[in-house]
Amino acid sequence: MKTKIYLLIAVFFMSLGVNAQIDRSQQPKPGPAPKISLEKPQEFELKNGLKILVVENHKLPRVSFNIAFDREPVLEGEKAGVTALLGAMLANGTTTISKDDFNEEIDFLGARLNVGFGGGSANSLTKYSNRILELLADATMNPLLTEEEFQKEKEKLIEGIKSDAKSVDAIARRTGSALAYGKHHPYGEFISEESVEAVTLADVKAYFEKYFTPNNTYLVIIGDVNTKSVVKLAKKYFKNWKKAATMTTEIVAPNANPEALEINFIDMPNAVQSNISLTSNVKLKMSDPDYHAVLIANKILGGGFNSYLNMNLREEHGYTYGARSSVGTDKYISRFRAGAAVRNEVTDSAVVETIKEIKRFQTEPVEADALANAKAKYVGDFVLALESPSTIAQYAINTKVNELPEDFYATYLEKINAVTIEDVNRVANLYFTADKARIVLVGKGSDVVENLEKTGIPINYFDTFANPVEKPEFSKPIPEGVTAASVLKNYIAAIGGLEAVNAVSSVMIAADVTIEGMPFKPTAVMKTMTPNMSSMEMSIEGMGTVMKQKFNGSEGYAEQQGMQQPMSEKELAEKAKEKGLFPETYLDANTLTLVSLTAIDGVDFYKLKVDEDSYRYYDAATGLLVRTEKSEETQGQTITSVQDKSDYREVNGVLFPYVQKITAGPQVIDMTASKIIVNEGVSAEDFK
Amino acid sequence: MKVYKCFLATLLMITLTISAQEVKFEEYDLSNGMHVILHKDNTAPVVTTSVMYHVGAKDENPERTGFAHFFEHLLFEGTKNIPKGEWFTIVTSNGGSNNANTTDDRTYYYEVFPSNNVELGLWMESERLLHPVINQDGVDTQNEVVKEEKRLRVDNSPYGRFLEVIKVNMFKKHPYKGTTIGKMEHLDAATLEEFQTFNKKFYVPNNAVLVVAGDIDIAEVKVMIENYFGPIPRGEDIVRNFPKEDPITEPMRAKAYDPNIQIPAVMAAYRTPSFKERDSYVLSMISTYLSDGKTSKLYKKIVDDKKMALQVGAIDFSQEDYGTYILYGLPLGDVSLDDLVVEMDEEIAKLQSELISERDYQKIQNKFENDFVNSNSSIEGIANSLARYYMLYGDVNLINNEIDIYRSITREEIKTVANKYLNANQRLVLEYLPESDKE
Repeated sequence: MKTKIYLLIAVFFMSLGVNAQIDRSQQPKPGPAPKISLEKPQEFELKNGLKILVVENHKLPRVSFNIAFDREPVLEGEKAGVTALLGAMLANGTTTISKDDFNEEIDFLGARLNVGFGGGSANSLTKYSNRILELLADATMNPLLTEEEFQKEKEKLIEGIKSDAKSVDAIARRTGSALAYGKHHPYGEFISEESVEAVTLADVKAYFEKYFTPNNTYLVIIGDVNTKSVVKLAKKYFKNWKKAATMTTEIVAPNANPEALEINFIDMPNAVQSNISLTSNVKLKMSDPDYHAVLIANKILGGGFNSYLNMNLREEHGYTYGARSSVGTDKYISRFRAGAAVRNEVTDSAVVETIKEIKRFQTEPVEADALANAKAKYVGDFVLALESPSTIAQYAINTKVNELPEDFYATYLEKINAVTIEDVNRVANLYFTADKARIVLVGKGSDVVENLEKTGIPINYFDTFANPVEKPEFSKPIPEGVTAASVLKNYIAAIGGLEAVNAVSSVMIAADVTIEGMPFKPTAVMKTMTPNMSSMEMSIEGMGTVMKQKFNGSEGYAEQQGMQQPMSEKELAEKAKEKGLFPETYLDANTLTLVSLTAIDGVDFYKLKVDEDSYRYYDAATGLLVRTEKSEETQGQTITSVQDKSDYREVNGVLFPYVQKITAGPQVIDMTASKIIVNEGVSAEDFK
Repeated sequence: MKVYKCFLATLLMITLTISAQEVKFEEYDLSNGMHVILHKDNTAPVVTTSVMYHVGAKDENPERTGFAHFFEHLLFEGTKNIPKGEWFTIVTSNGGSNNANTTDDRTYYYEVFPSNNVELGLWMESERLLHPVINQDGVDTQNEVVKEEKRLRVDNSPYGRFLEVIKVNMFKKHPYKGTTIGKMEHLDAATLEEFQTFNKKFYVPNNAVLVVAGDIDIAEVKVMIENYFGPIPRGEDIVRNFPKEDPITEPMRAKAYDPNIQIPAVMAAYRTPSFKERDSYVLSMISTYLSDGKTSKLYKKIVDDKKMALQVGAIDFSQEDYGTYILYGLPLGDVSLDDLVVEMDEEIAKLQSELISERDYQKIQNKFENDFVNSNSSIEGIANSLARYYMLYGDVNLINNEIDIYRSITREEIKTVANKYLNANQRLVLEYLPESDKE
C-alpha cells in the first residue's frame, strides 16, 4: 500500500514538473538550510595522561584508530633527519613480535597500520579491530629498533634526498621554509646527506624515549565500535605506557621579515616552470579574535579558484595552472604565502601581478559579493566536512591542542558570518604584505633572471640549500661541436676572413665620446699598428688634448693634463702578449676556456675565458665579438670594466664595431666612431 | 541450545554487515536517452550531482589529440545563463566544491553541495550540456591553462613521462597509444569549428549518465531532473570502432630520458584485457599479491630483504578496451636495471609454475574486502562508482557485488592468468633514465 501511495505522489510531482515551466535563465535558489548537528566525541583519560576520544559510527563495518602527539616544535640541528629515521623505522615489529611476523599479520588482516614521529594510525574491518588496536599500541610503545633497519632507512633517506635534488618543488619547499624561518629554527631546518650521516641508532633511541610518551597524547577511535568496550580495551593495551617528566624547549626566534621586498633566487637549470612563493612570517593563533576574518580574507585573496590571485594569474593571463595564497595558524609562528608555478617566460610578469593583487587587496575594500561568497564557501566546507566521522574528532583535538574556547566550533559559523568588509581590510594590512616579504623563486636563471632584474626588486641568490651565493652564471647547454677554437674561427670568418684580417696593418678610429654625467663632449683618435703599437688621444673643444695613452712596442706612458706616467711592469707585460691587431688571430685556443652559452638582453653569447680576469663574448648567431670584460684591482678595489661593441660596419673588407660602450664601475663611456680608416694615415711616429 | 543462539547471532551479524554496506540506488532513462542513477543517503546534509560523458582521449581525431581533456577545461568557461568566469563563484558562493577529470575513456564532472542546493547542481550540469558557450576567447584562455597543467604534471614532474613512453610503445594502432593530455601543437592548430563539432558529437544526453547521491528526496529530485534535463535534445548515436591491436609476441625494449630525475627506473609492461573481463580482476589480485603492502612478494624480497631497490611496485593500469600491467623498480646503489628485472621475473615465474599459498590467498581476499568497504565511504566516491560501473562496465550492480567476483577467483585461476599474460615475449622493458645519462 505504502509503495503505491509513493508512486502516486511521484507521478503527481512528475506531471507538475512537466507542466510547470522552469525559467532556466534564473539560478535556482537554495532550499532551507539543512540542520547541522555537531556531536561531541566521548572523552576519557588514563592515569598516565593518555586522552581517549571515541566517535561511534556504524554506517560501515570498519574502525579507525589514531594516535596524535601534541608536542612543542622539535629542533634536530646537526642531526636533522633523526625524527624522519625514527618515523620510518616504526611499525616494523615490536620487542616481542618480529618484523616479518608483524608486517605479515597486518597485511593478512587486510588492515593498514602506520606509526611515524608525529603519531600513528590504524584501520581495519570491525571484525579485526581489537587485534589491530593491540598491534598499534605495541608498535607505539615497544617498537623494534635494530641497527639493520636503521642502516636501511638511512640509505633510503639519503637516496630520497638525492632524488629530490632536481625537483623544483622539493627545492622550493626546502628553501622556502629555510629562508623564511631560518635554517636553525625547527620549522626552517631541513635534512641533508651530511646531517643524516651524523645520526646514530643511539640518537634514534634517545628521541624515541624522549618523545613517545602518553602525556599530551590523544587516542582517537572512530567507527563501528561500542564505546564502553573499546575504551576498556584501550585501557588494557595502553595502561603500561610510562608517563614522562614534562619538558620545555627553548625555541630560537625565527628570521625577521626583510625590511623591503626582495627576491631570493635559487637557480635550477632544469626547471621548465618557476616556483614563485612570496612569504612573510606571521603570528596567528586559532584562538585569536582575528582568526575568522583572516580565513575569509585569505579566501578572497588567494584561497580558491575565484580568488584575486587565481583570477588574475590563471584566468586573465593564463600564466599558471593555479595561483593561491595561504596563511598558517600556529602556536609559535607561521607564514603568509602567495604564489604559483608559472612558465619561465612569464616569471617576472607573474611576480609583478602577484604583488599588484596583494596591494590592491590591501587598499581597495572587497566587494560585498566576494565577502558573501567567501563566507558561503566556509559555511559549505563546514557542512561538507560533517560527512566524515573523523571531523568531530579532529575538532575535539583542535580545541584542546590550540587551547580554543569550548564553544569554538559551535560558534564557528556565527563568527564567520559576522566578518565585515572593514575586518577584511584591517586584517589584510595586519597579516598580509607585499612589502616586508621575500619572494622565494626557484627557476631557470638563464631564462628568467634578466627580466626579473627589470622589476627593480633586489635579487639575492641562494643555492638549493638556502646558502647565499654570488649571482650564478646562467648558461644554456653548449651545442655539440662548439669549442673555444671554433668560436675564434667563426669570429674571424664573420668579420671578413683570415686573409682580409691579415691584410690590416694599421687602423685609425676617430670617435665622438660621451661620458655619462659630464657636460663636455670629447673626441678621441685611436690608432693601432701591427704588431702591438697603440695610441689614444682625447681632446675637448677649447681645451685641446686632455689625455694621451701611447705604446710604441717596447715602452709606453699615460699623460693626463701634462702629467706623464710611464706604464707599469704589469701593463708592459700585458702589452707584450699582444701579437696583432685582432687577438683572435693569435690567441691559443688551448689556453682558453669556453665557459658558457649565456643570454644577455635576450641574445645568446659564447663566453670565452682568456685568463683569470678577462673574458670575451661572441654572439652565438653572428659570431661577432660583442663584449670584452676585464677585472682589475686598483687601490684595493676590484673594478670590472666591460666594453660592449656593436654597429659593425665593413672597412676594406673587414667588419669593425662603430659603437663601443665602456662601463667601469660607476663610469659609463660611449664612443661612436665617425671615421675608421685602414692601412692609411698611421705611422710609427704616432706611438711615441 | 547454546549452539543455536550462537548461530543466530552469527547470522544476524552477517545480515547486519551486508545491509550496512549495500548501496541502494534507482536508475532510469530520460526520453532523450540520458541515463539517471539516484542514491539516497540522509546521514549527512550533503549532496553530489555528477555527470559522466562517454568521451575520452581515445575518441579523438589522431590529428587533434588532447580534445577530451581540453573540454574538461572549456566547459567551465560559461553557458548561456552562466557568464564567463562565474562557474566557480556560483559553486563556492553556495558552499559547494566541484571538479572534473578526464581519462582515455570518459570525462567526469561533479559538484558537492550542502543538500539544500541540489537544484543548483542540477541546473549547472544541465546548462553545461545544453548551453555551453564555446568561443575563441574561452579556447585561448584554456589553451594557456592546459599548457601550464602539462608543464606542472608532466614536464616538471619527476618520472612524469613514463606512462606516455609506455603507451606509445605498447599500442601501435589503438588510440591508447597517445596521452590524455595530448599534443600541444594539435590544440594550437585546432579551429573553433572543430571544438564546436566535438561538443555537438559527444556532449549529448544519450552519451551521458547523471548521478544524484546523498541527502535527497527522490520524488522531488526526479521532478527537477525532468525539468532541467528532459528538454535537452537527443544527439546522434555515437559509433565506436577502434582498431584492434595485434598481440605482442616478441620482447620489446625501449629507453627514455627524464631531466627531472637522478635515479633511473625500469619498467616491465604487459598488455592485458579490458577491465570488464574477468581476467582483469585476476590481474588486479596478482598486483596486490606482488606489491601491495610490506609483505607483498616484490617489496619483501627486493626492497626489504635484498635491499636492491628504493621502490618496486606493480601498476594495474586497466582501461575500457585494453589494460597495461606495469611492474617497476628504482634501483639502490650499484644494482643494474636488468638485475631488478631478473628479480621481478623470478616472482612471476613462481606465480606461473605453482599455486600461491592458502594463506596468501586469504590475505588478498581480506585486502579486497577492506578496500571494498572503504570504497563506499564518501557520497562523492559512491556517485563516481555508480557512474563508472554503469558507463564503462555496463553493470551498476557491481557497486555491491564486485567483491563477489574477487571471492570467486581461485588460486588455479591466478596461475592460469599469470601464464596467459605475464610472459617475457609479451612485454616491453623500458629503461627510464636521467637525462644526464644520455650519450
